[in-house]
Amino acid sequence: MRRRLHPGAWWLWALGLATAATRTTNPLLLLLVGAVTGTVVAACRSDDPWARAYGMFLRIGLVVVVVRLVFGAVFAAQAPGTTLFTLPSVTLPSWLAGVRVGGPVTAEGLAVAGYDALRLATVLICVGAANALAAPSRLLKSVPGALYEVGVAVVVAMTFAPQAVTHVRQVRDAQRLRGRSDRGIRALRRLAMPVLEGALDRSVQLAAAMDARGYGRTAAVPRARRRATAALVLGGLLAVCAGLYGLLDGQAPAALGAPMLVSGSVCAAAGLWLGGRRSPRTRYRPDPWALPEWVTGGSGLLAATAMTVTGLLGADGLRPAPGSAPGLPPLPAAGVLIALAPALLRGIRT
Amino acid sequence: MIRFDRVDFRYGGTPVLTDVDLEIEEGELCLVAGRTGTGKSTLLRAVNGLVPHFTGGVLTGQVTVAGRDTRDHPPRELADVVGYVGQDPRAGFVSDVVEEELAYGMESLGLPPDVMRRRVEETLDLLGLAGLRDRALATLSGGQAQRVAIGSVLTTHPKVLVLDEPTSALDPVGAEDVLATLQRLVHDLGLTVVLAEHRLERVVHLADTMVLLPGDGRPPVHGPTAAIMAESPVAPPVVQLGRLAGWSPLPLSVRDARRAAAPLRERLTNASPPGPAAPSGPAGAAPHRVGNAAPSDPAALSDAALSGPAAPSGSAGAAPHRVGNAASSGQASTPATDPRGRADGAHAPASVRALEIRYGPVTALRGVDLSVVPGEVIALMGRNGAGKSSLLRALVGLVRPSGGRVLVGGVAPHETPPRVMVRHAGLVPQDAADLLYAETVAAECAAADRDMGAARGTCRALFERLAPGVDDTLHPRDLSEGQRLALALAVILTGRPPLVLLDEPTRGLDYTAKGRLVEIVRELAADGHAVVLATHDVELVAEVATRTVVVAEGEVVADGPTGEVVVSSPAFAPQVGKIFAPVPVLTVDQVREALSWA
Amino acid sequence: MGVNAVRLRVRSGTALSLVSLAGLAAFCWPLLVTPGARIGQSAFAPWMFVLLLPLLLAVALAEIAEGGIDAKAIALLGVLGAVGAALRPLGTNVAGFEPMFFVLVHGGRVLGRGFGYLLGAVAMFASALITAGVGPWLPYQILGAAWVGFFAGCLPRARGRTEIAMLAAYGAVAAFAYGWLQNLGLWPFVGGMASSISYHPGAPLADNLGRFVAFNLATSLGFDLPRAIFTAILVAVTGRPVLLALRRAARRAAFEAPAGFDDRSD
Repeated sequence: MRRRLHPGAWWLWALGLATAATRTTNPLLLLLVGAVTGTVVAACRSDDPWARAYGMFLRIGLVVVVVRLVFGAVFAAQAPGTTLFTLPSVTLPSWLAGVRVGGPVTAEGLAVAGYDALRLATVLICVGAANALAAPSRLLKSVPGALYEVGVAVVVAMTFAPQAVTHVRQVRDAQRLRGRSDRGIRALRRLAMPVLEGALDRSVQLAAAMDARGYGRTAAVPRARRRATAALVLGGLLAVCAGLYGLLDGQAPAALGAPMLVSGSVCAAAGLWLGGRRSPRTRYRPDPWALPEWVTGGSGLLAATAMTVTGLLGADGLRPAPGSAPGLPPLPAAGVLIALAPALLRGIRT
Repeated sequence: MIRFDRVDFRYGGTPVLTDVDLEIEEGELCLVAGRTGTGKSTLLRAVNGLVPHFTGGVLTGQVTVAGRDTRDHPPRELADVVGYVGQDPRAGFVSDVVEEELAYGMESLGLPPDVMRRRVEETLDLLGLAGLRDRALATLSGGQAQRVAIGSVLTTHPKVLVLDEPTSALDPVGAEDVLATLQRLVHDLGLTVVLAEHRLERVVHLADTMVLLPGDGRPPVHGPTAAIMAESPVAPPVVQLGRLAGWSPLPLSVRDARRAAAPLRERLTNASPPGPAAPSGPAGAAPHRVGNAAPSDPAALSDAALSGPAAPSGSAGAAPHRVGNAASSGQASTPATDPRGRADGAHAPASVRALEIRYGPVTALRGVDLSVVPGEVIALMGRNGAGKSSLLRALVGLVRPSGGRVLVGGVAPHETPPRVMVRHAGLVPQDAADLLYAETVAAECAAADRDMGAARGTCRALFERLAPGVDDTLHPRDLSEGQRLALALAVILTGRPPLVLLDEPTRGLDYTAKGRLVEIVRELAADGHAVVLATHDVELVAEVATRTVVVAEGEVVADGPTGEVVVSSPAFAPQVGKIFAPVPVLTVDQVREALSWA
Repeated sequence: MGVNAVRLRVRSGTALSLVSLAGLAAFCWPLLVTPGARIGQSAFAPWMFVLLLPLLLAVALAEIAEGGIDAKAIALLGVLGAVGAALRPLGTNVAGFEPMFFVLVHGGRVLGRGFGYLLGAVAMFASALITAGVGPWLPYQILGAAWVGFFAGCLPRARGRTEIAMLAAYGAVAAFAYGWLQNLGLWPFVGGMASSISYHPGAPLADNLGRFVAFNLATSLGFDLPRAIFTAILVAVTGRPVLLALRRAARRAAFEAPAGFDDRSD
């Protein structure tokens, strides 16, 4: 029997590739990233409905590219170079002084816009790959303990939504049985009410069943730990707010910025973890994190690292000038290719 | 194991339970019975503390389960002692896959993973669910869902299992599965089981003891099943028969009753009452039969002296099948129609020829012929998924035939606008509440008058006849099951359709409400409506149907007078039919009438 | 008014305020940033918020749940979230129409602001999981929807027609504000550095505000206004029956009903 990979591994892999993509505007590298995700999705996808997400994100990516090119042509101050064509220009009121509409459009200007759009589209495609490969219900099983209650609500919502859709169909039939047409906003109201009433009735029954099956049992939390959790969470959030202020205000001391933000985030995360221990519940057959997960997640991280390191070393090729033909820098390209690893792992299915 | 110590329960000032004082022993299977609204569910929910912790209200006295007082233990703290399965098991599912659902309770209790794994495997085997472990809960049949719900509370190893109407919504096969499972749990594991059920005929022979809620302010009585049954105002046919015949000890199962009934069967065979009590016409009805489910032994039928003067065979379709006291106004105006509707289908309530319905690759119905004449009550029987609902939906135009012809009152339903269609045929769907959307009974009735173009007050008057004395300002969702069905029926009848279709009308009805439904259906037939019921309820069919059509895998396998079709079939015979076979009597009333002539 | 299905305590209220403050910064930072601020120079800035928001949201939700949410509230959250999520795909056919909002507005109104906050988050998250639409925009959408539900629970006392009118007006405002905030969140990503209607790091507030308005007009004026009107109409049309149904459910769930035991007097 083929094992399903931990959904976290797929997200790590996809986010690694997405991070790599944000670090470059080189269209060859970006297309390579896209090709890698496509290969892996083709090799590892299942027949489940969410596996179709990849195609959907691919279309969204295309739309982004087109929209950005149009924006680039209409609104962008054009980089100097070869003029392709000239759009009629519009004079705007003075409070919109910075905005330019129309005018000559250069090849270089379009290239800048296109590279940028391709980068965003590639990030979206990476995210689409994660959506297609990671089973959403398994993802919910790995939410931190402190979010258990909210996680249950989401699980209930996800299982109930298809039933609500079925119920809508039944009620629509019932409306016909009463000689009503099923169009118009009044029909929508007649449709909505029985569905909503049915949902509410059901929530009461569900709550009784959950109560009777031990939902909401809590372990006794020592006072000290409760206080520690509260201090970590609130202190962390305060630090995050201060850190953001420090980053946004140019006059603020440097220490108030990034260091504050990072330490605050760490505190809040620690508080989240500590707060998760108030519930005594255990997990049935949690997804294991073994070698295939390490390989998959690691390959994504390697791709990100290769790209970031190249960027920090100041090697050129990551941001090609709009006028010249882009080359393919070897280190980042190799990093991206490593992310093909999940497709090569045998016996794995999402 | 379970002890109620002088328990009263009031909800918002209204007393719901009074002076409940009883003790249920370990390993007992206890049946809780009573009419709708007598507090059965409340009593069950008090066992694990849902009453009053979850529902609100004030409980006086003391309820203890396995030594734990519900006063100090809310439901979640009793989850390892009491397993509770509510009325609609699907509504209680928290996750989406069978295996996860079985583990949910244990996760909440914080059991170690290896214990959870072991118990899930054990439970899958114990309840015969191993083949379903990876199935999505939404795809389960009713019986499977009920067993998964039972399994999901068993994994915490409770000592008590509480079930609220576990078989009411199930077809006979699903009910058998569930009951066999329960019996095994009691016998093999020594589990204490408390269950409430309307359909006593399914469970009464399995119960060790019974709690009867009289519902008139008197305290409930608890005792051995036979003793309680002797006095109970609600009783299954087998018990009613036993009381009628004065048998002692009172039989609770068909087997016991059949043994006790030997002399009576003799008397019935020799008795010869005239006319109306006859459940079936003899030879005249035989031509309806199609396929292989026809009565296996026509000789046995013809020696039934009960059947009285032979009906004129030409009009077999309409007149002679009428049961009981249905008036004959419809009969007079009915032309003698060929039962298969070959002739003159234009004004027949419905005529179906070679109907085929496909949903994508799945064929739901194939080659179905059916003709319905006014004043007829047809029972449509068959397994879940056999095509009963598809046939009903085709008759009201909710589904387009893939082949063949459907004519209802002379028009093709799927090509007729809903507004016109309601004057030809009306369907009350399985969940009657789907038809209702207003906020009060009065508003619902007014809307129905407008929908159907009827005179103002028509619907309200109909509702008053079907369910007298209901408060106009009540929300339709707050009505009892029986009242809600009556309201949905009233809405449909406002259009005065010659053809009335009911899909599973007895789900959740108690004996009183069912009795009322039988009267209503007979009145409709007497008024010249044709009624088609899709149902699993064999007792209802025996009471009310003049003709029975059995569907299997999309084809009609039997079509004939109820008496003939039903008596010979182990699955569709009512209890009385089984007791007296091969004598074709189906209901206690018929026996009573026959005896009065003997 | 209605009941309070999920109570906010001092601690969870404080956490919620701080998260909302940081969340507001995540939406509005391009307008808030002052000249010379380090964040303005960095191309990483928008991505930083994408990483930060999920953590903040997790902390906020965990804090609300900290005192325990009872089974009735969870079940209601689940089914109402499902209704919202199931309605969402209907909206994609009509320009920018977001039918989920009326569930959030009514739900927050009847069941309280804590519940409204959770309802927005659960409905948005569930719908993203169902449609496999998890992406960098999701934290922004969750936060926006949670605010819509939360503030619906903060509206003042009113009855009858006044209440419906108030809710419809609120629905319109909320839908409009939601659209602008989402655009603002999207702005630094889509604009790139090149376009004259995109975010220019370090430019004066008035200048960037002008660019943003132009961006908004160019991208979504076609959506924002119809969406606000649709939402108001939907809230008004469904108002009476939906509020009634929710109140009935809240009453039946007996959130605040006294459950008690009496001792026998004898």
